Amino acid sequence: MEEMDSELVTTLVNAGKSWLVLTIAALMPTFWALTLIFQFARPYIVRVLRGLTLRFGADVWWLSYVLIRDALMLLTFAIGTSLILPGLYISMPLPLFAPLSTLLLFWALVFKLFGEADDDPRTFRAVSLLLVAAASLYFVPLFFGVEAIDQAYLGEIPAFLVSATNPSWAWPILLLALAGYAATGSYIFWRFMRTLRKGTASVTERSTEAAA
Amino acid sequence: MISLEDIPSFFEAAEIFLEGTIAAVLVVIWLLVVALHLARPYMLANLQKFTLRLGADLWWIIYLAFRDGLVVLAFVLSFMFFLPDVVGMLPLPLTGSLAAACAFAVLVLKLVTGGDADIRAFIWQTWLLGLGAVLYIVPFVFGVEAGALPGPAGEVAAFLVTTTNPSWAIPLTYVSMAIVGALGVVAVAYNLRESALPVSRANAQADT
Repeated sequence: MEEMDSELVTTLVNAGKSWLVLTIAALMPTFWALTLIFQFARPYIVRVLRGLTLRFGADVWWLSYVLIRDALMLLTFAIGTSLILPGLYISMPLPLFAPLSTLLLFWALVFKLFGEADDDPRTFRAVSLLLVAAASLYFVPLFFGVEAIDQAYLGEIPAFLVSATNPSWAWPILLLALAGYAATGSYIFWRFMRTLRKGTASVTERSTEAAA
Repeated sequence: MISLEDIPSFFEAAEIFLEGTIAAVLVVIWLLVVALHLARPYMLANLQKFTLRLGADLWWIIYLAFRDGLVVLAFVLSFMFFLPDVVGMLPLPLTGSLAAACAFAVLVLKLVTGGDADIRAFIWQTWLLGLGAVLYIVPFVFGVEAGALPGPAGEVAAFLVTTTNPSWAIPLTYVSMAIVGALGVVAVAYNLRESALPVSRANAQADT
């Protein structure tokens, strides 16, 4: 009886875990859509900004927009990263290109971190194109793979687009994405340290000048 | 007493409950979206009464944030209508995916036209929202809800629900996905073309 109970609890926990992960995977298109909508709502937001009569109102409007837009991007990245943990990605039916999608989102965040995405049109375009590519890499395998497994007329396409049923593609994609994560993370660290050192050097220069 | 064999169906039921709740909440959201768009004259009338520009600006910002935020919410919650397996498994309104496409078309119109100052664009937005609300609420009320009851609406109700009419539901899903995809391309192209104006300059213009 005790053995039966323990088996029941294990199965219940495992099924609960699968349900949670797959629900998050199904919610990801919502986060992606919100990320894209807020990124591409910029002309609309700027138009309203110009219509406001006081700088206070304009600042509140712009501040709220930037806060929500960037928080959504970060949230999508954080949830996307949790879905590419090898134990989940290889064993559960997740979108095949999800790791690459999250890696591209990571690069978009790097552009935002080191560039002026709101004032420099080139950086804005780079971030926008990276987001479109990343979202497409998530949407296509989700709509035509994970959520279309029962659609017989699609033939082998759904099975190809799902990580658990296509391990021969899933493993290289996962390893490539993890290597990309490591390289991007190292780049951010190096760039941050360089900026910090430059800042320290200029502070030292200024204090030497002041002392002289 | 729950047994090992019951566990998968237990979580399937949880999924059905979650998605069914979202489908029901969408009725309320569609009603609010239409109501807030139709409330524009009332909001403008109140705007005239403010004695401080700060109050007027905040009133207008809050109205825009609620009104347009709800259109965004209606669209993102409708994403389940683009998932063929969900459409085939759950009794959802047949034209829910087209309603989602209408919400997205309104968002794109808001983006590429002159905003609230452009009355013609606003009229188009209101028509599209009205159409979207009808496309969602009518099959929900007369199909999903009435279909669950014994009564005269049997065949009509069966036609209006995705699970009992998959030969219409799946093609409509793909048509709506194509519409949303095409509109998405328009939105991206417009953004890439319009990204030349730096925000700091636009912000400065707000004060002039």
